[in-house]
Amino acid sequence: MAAAEDPLSAAGLQDAGWIEARGLTASYGSSPALRGLDASIGAGEVAAILGENGSGKSTLLKVLARVLPIEGGVVRFDGKSLDALPRRQTARRIAYVPQSVDLVFPIRALDLVLQGRAPHGRGFVAESPGDRERAMVAMRACDVDALAQRDASALSGGERRRVFLARALAQEAEVWLLDEPTAGLDPRHRLEFLETLWKVHGERRTTVLLVTHEIPLAGDLASRVLLLKQGRTIAQGPAAEVLTSENLERAFGAPFSTRGSRFEVHSAILPRASFEP
Amino acid sequence: MNARILVLGLLLLALACALAFAVGGVHLSMADLVSGTGASGQTARLLASLRGPRIALAALVGGCLALAGAALQALLKNPLADPFLLGTSGGAAVGAAGAALAGLSPLISPAAAFLGAAAASLAVAGLARRGGRLDLQRLLLAGLIANAFFSALLLGAFSIASGEAARTMLFWMMGSLADATPAKVETLFPYAAAGAAVLIAASARLNLFSVGEDNAAALGVDTERTKRVVFLAASLLTGAAVAFAGVIGFVGLLVPHAVRTVCGNDQRTLLPVSFLAGATLLVAADAVSRAALAPAELPIGALTAALGAPLFAWLLLRTP
Repeated sequence: MAAAEDPLSAAGLQDAGWIEARGLTASYGSSPALRGLDASIGAGEVAAILGENGSGKSTLLKVLARVLPIEGGVVRFDGKSLDALPRRQTARRIAYVPQSVDLVFPIRALDLVLQGRAPHGRGFVAESPGDRERAMVAMRACDVDALAQRDASALSGGERRRVFLARALAQEAEVWLLDEPTAGLDPRHRLEFLETLWKVHGERRTTVLLVTHEIPLAGDLASRVLLLKQGRTIAQGPAAEVLTSENLERAFGAPFSTRGSRFEVHSAILPRASFEP
Repeated sequence: MNARILVLGLLLLALACALAFAVGGVHLSMADLVSGTGASGQTARLLASLRGPRIALAALVGGCLALAGAALQALLKNPLADPFLLGTSGGAAVGAAGAALAGLSPLISPAAAFLGAAAASLAVAGLARRGGRLDLQRLLLAGLIANAFFSALLLGAFSIASGEAARTMLFWMMGSLADATPAKVETLFPYAAAGAAVLIAASARLNLFSVGEDNAAALGVDTERTKRVVFLAASLLTGAAVAFAGVIGFVGLLVPHAVRTVCGNDQRTLLPVSFLAGATLLVAADAVSRAALAPAELPIGALTAALGAPLFAWLLLRTP
């Protein structure tokens, strides 16, 4: 889908929540994962981040979530250096939905969603009745309100992703960072997750950075695509311009032409969500 | 925080204290204790003056160890974390024993134990660090290494020490509440209060850590600072406990686990209730250790290990 056809990517819907990175370097563990990455994502845009395993996609999200430090270069968030902003302030505005969380201790789904209110409280103390109300509204929006009292570690993968999406919603952030939100989900749960995401994104007009290996999904959902390879951006721009076989071959080192393997990515048949906002 | 659970915890602690006053080599009746007159009444007063400090010490030590364990479990997102298993207690014992061998005043021993505990925490965390983050399996192995090393140091010191010094070494290795005095309780109290206040103040942040360190960072917590503060406060509590009671294992493992199954894993409840429950456990365990083989005493550390080791095995089996 071309950017111009996407009703949400039209500029000016929201002017807060834009991100710009120049020459960004960061490490994951002891090995460098970002080696001078450039990115610019407009406010309210859905940007898909594609690239082979180890290309730095997840690391980019972790840097933006302030889970990993910026080692070199600069990241601007609404024009201000991300490094210079207080952590709690950026946590109110940027929500991170990790790929999978291994829950060791029991925690109710509602309490997990309430954690999204933590950066808003005074000094991480008790949540207010208003926080509870917001959490429940978010859980209803993501269709997980019936699970509120359940132990989150006992939920299915799809349910848990939607609980985390509800948390991002309760966080009232302007930017959502989603790390492979559809990985490991069966077709029905994938569809349910994407429909929920599309619906709440439509309501909130948040900026979304979505790491995925699903190239057709990027084409359907994203107004903007970033292609990463070895910690650098090799192409970025409107989805229709970036998702060419030439670019994809360069990024993945796999044939993307119509004459390639019978398993090539373009021929993959994936269920299409009914994306009616 | 749930006030009813806190009140229940206080009631249980009071019950354990009453029991501990009554039992031992000589049994006391409450009537004798209250009246304090006549021959039996005077015996009662005398025994109370001996048992009182011991009970207070048991309560503080148990509370400190349980609270330190609960906070470390949340910080490291690991139900197997415990000051004893992570080598913190061993480091504290070496610090306190070193100060005693050097002839320093017993009033210095909590500070020396704290330094030992903090050094042990740093060393264990350093060994467990892999690629910039704490690896949990490595953490338990590093604790094992540290414990082996500290045991070797204590045994070495024990073999060259003689008389009173040897007895002191044995005390730190085995753990005992027998040498309780009002002065020790008074010295321990500020350390316990300071460490407990710091950890309870961090409890909401520890909730975010108990889902994961990345989780806490993404929600705006300065994770490096919180880790330092919690490690130091847990070392302070462990050091204070070990300085006056030696190494008593498994309290920090047992208590938070039991409290979690009753009250859930909200650290804002779990931490204060763990302190009360740890106090209750150690007061009760000390009473049992005095009464079971009276007039001989069962070492308190043996009793807590007998309770804790099976739980540890069970938790290990359940941990994926």
